[in-house]
Amino acid sequence: MGLVVFLAVLLGAAPPAPPDILVSRQLLAKAHLSVGDIVTLSADAAGARARRFRVAGVYEPTPDPMKFNLERIEARLHLDDLLGLASNPGDTSSADAVSAINVTLGDRSNAAGQQFQRSLAARSPFIFSSSTRDNDNVTFVVIDRFHTAIAAVTVIGSTAFLLALMVIRAEERKETVGILRLIGISRKTIMTEVVIEGLLVAIAGAAFGVLIAAGAQSAVNSFFQARYDTTLVFMRVSPGIAMRSIAVAIPVGVVAGAVASWTLLRRGTSALVRR
Amino acid sequence: MTALSLAWRTARRYRARAVLAVVGVAVIGALNFDMLMLSRGLMVSFADLINGTGYDIRITGSGGLPLSRQPLDNVTPLMAQIAALPEVASVAVMRTANAAAITPGKPPDGLELIGSSDPAGLGIWKPVSGSNLDAATGDASLAPAIVARTLAERLGLAIGSTINIRVRISGSLSAMPSVPLRVVGTADFPFESQGSFVVATTMEAFAKAHGGMLNDHADFMFAKSRPTAGVDATVAAIAKALPNLRVFSNEQVIANFSSNAFTYFRQISVVLSTTTAAFSFLLVATLLTVSVNQRLGEVAALRALGIARRKIAATLLWEAALLVGIGGVFALPLGQLLAMVLDRILRRMPGLPAGLHFFVFEPQSLLLHAAVLTATAIVAAAYPVWLAVKLPIAQTLRQEVVS
Repeated sequence: MGLVVFLAVLLGAAPPAPPDILVSRQLLAKAHLSVGDIVTLSADAAGARARRFRVAGVYEPTPDPMKFNLERIEARLHLDDLLGLASNPGDTSSADAVSAINVTLGDRSNAAGQQFQRSLAARSPFIFSSSTRDNDNVTFVVIDRFHTAIAAVTVIGSTAFLLALMVIRAEERKETVGILRLIGISRKTIMTEVVIEGLLVAIAGAAFGVLIAAGAQSAVNSFFQARYDTTLVFMRVSPGIAMRSIAVAIPVGVVAGAVASWTLLRRGTSALVRR
Repeated sequence: MTALSLAWRTARRYRARAVLAVVGVAVIGALNFDMLMLSRGLMVSFADLINGTGYDIRITGSGGLPLSRQPLDNVTPLMAQIAALPEVASVAVMRTANAAAITPGKPPDGLELIGSSDPAGLGIWKPVSGSNLDAATGDASLAPAIVARTLAERLGLAIGSTINIRVRISGSLSAMPSVPLRVVGTADFPFESQGSFVVATTMEAFAKAHGGMLNDHADFMFAKSRPTAGVDATVAAIAKALPNLRVFSNEQVIANFSSNAFTYFRQISVVLSTTTAAFSFLLVATLLTVSVNQRLGEVAALRALGIARRKIAATLLWEAALLVGIGGVFALPLGQLLAMVLDRILRRMPGLPAGLHFFVFEPQSLLLHAAVLTATAIVAAAYPVWLAVKLPIAQTLRQEVVS
């Protein structure tokens, strides 16, 4: 009787459900998968030791600036499933080996991180740890400096052109300024007018520039997000950046106008009205 | 008087604006020139690095990309098989390990230890002083080592010095004893990051540093083709003999690098060179237009004197050409200087090979720069020329007198 029950259970038992995995949106699209599909994964290119898994869900890979040009064909498995799939059957210790362990410290200061690294090195001298903020931060600090240098060069170049335009503008007003001087308006008053006019034009220009940048931000992000199939934000005009740009643009505009006008004002009145 | 001399006189008369315009074009032109150099700089620099070595074929395991460090298994029979091919002149393998230089009384200095089957490293390192790993100088009982120049300076090593190396084996609870190596030369390692500490030694010494227990793996395998066979034929021969391996010529490695690595900088160079070209056009066009508007009376007077429209147009074109041309010439040395500064900024990225540069001068960059500036001058002058040739002479002269 017991044997009959056992056989009934054996014959009637459903096969165990394959373990769940998550696949990236890109993998789902490329392999034409759907949630609920059963897929076969293998760590071997020839397909040896393949195992079946069930697609339990799809995820959007976290945008990674270091991988933005790579197609994110990824899947997420439970660790024990991955170890079972990828470990070397001839090496019993490989089923208990991982490539890295991520640790989040309660105290995230540099000092606490260094103390943790020292403690770990003292307890396990052959395990190496490094702070995740080091390398990536340095890369983006470098890129930030690169862009700042380019922005500085662009400002220098455009300042030269702005000065040239201001000189032309001042020349156009030579006679007007001469007449104002003849009727008794002082250099200081004319200079103040020039500075205020320059300030208003510079403020309007800076504000317009920020609007153009905001528009360009949308265009750049749309283009590159579509190009690389990522949700990474490539360009962002933050309030800090907008304020920094305005803080540079306004003094440059005002000073350029004032310098160009001063070259005119320092001439004698007769030189201004003479044709 | 020719149109050019008229244009020159105008520039001399309005000296301040001409100088400022030239400075502006020079600065923006320098940036444009740099972006043109950046568009192919990395690829050209990498190609120079790869082609400057002694090998022209790279071999990886079946799962490897040309530049990835996928280890190869059972390399000894593989090397023998590859070396036996008539197309192959030589083959070499390298292995790397994390290690430390042990100096009594000082904390250990972390370094990368390279074991090479070829005494010259197949050109992976560039000798600075001394000789290669087959040198007979110094204590012959100690294995030879080539030390990176930075490490030699740090530890005060000279040719004939001894350096003690201890490898670090991850995943093992054993502490390896340090092995003494004799310094036979110092070198630069352009494929390693700037300032990194590297020591290269023979494969025998590399195995000894691991306690003599080393599997038959290699991190890199390189081959050199015979000139009579050619690279492509050699690649095909190796791939046919060993279908489980992936074989790449230097050209294929460079093409792979070009399409995968640092695409951000190629994209940014396209965006910035387009932006600077548009910027130059806008600024030169604005300057010329405002300048012509200011001189409408002068232009009308010249037309009234009988100077033909064509000559007026040519004068304005020459004005644009002078501003942009002189600025463009100054842009070249300025661009080279700026490129040095920007290159120094970008090369601070961690992990970047010391021999890699972002900005590399190529004649085609110069030609493209000249073409962009020429197009800028012509297009920027179009509207001012149209203004000048279309203006009604009598009406303009009357307006000038009345105003």
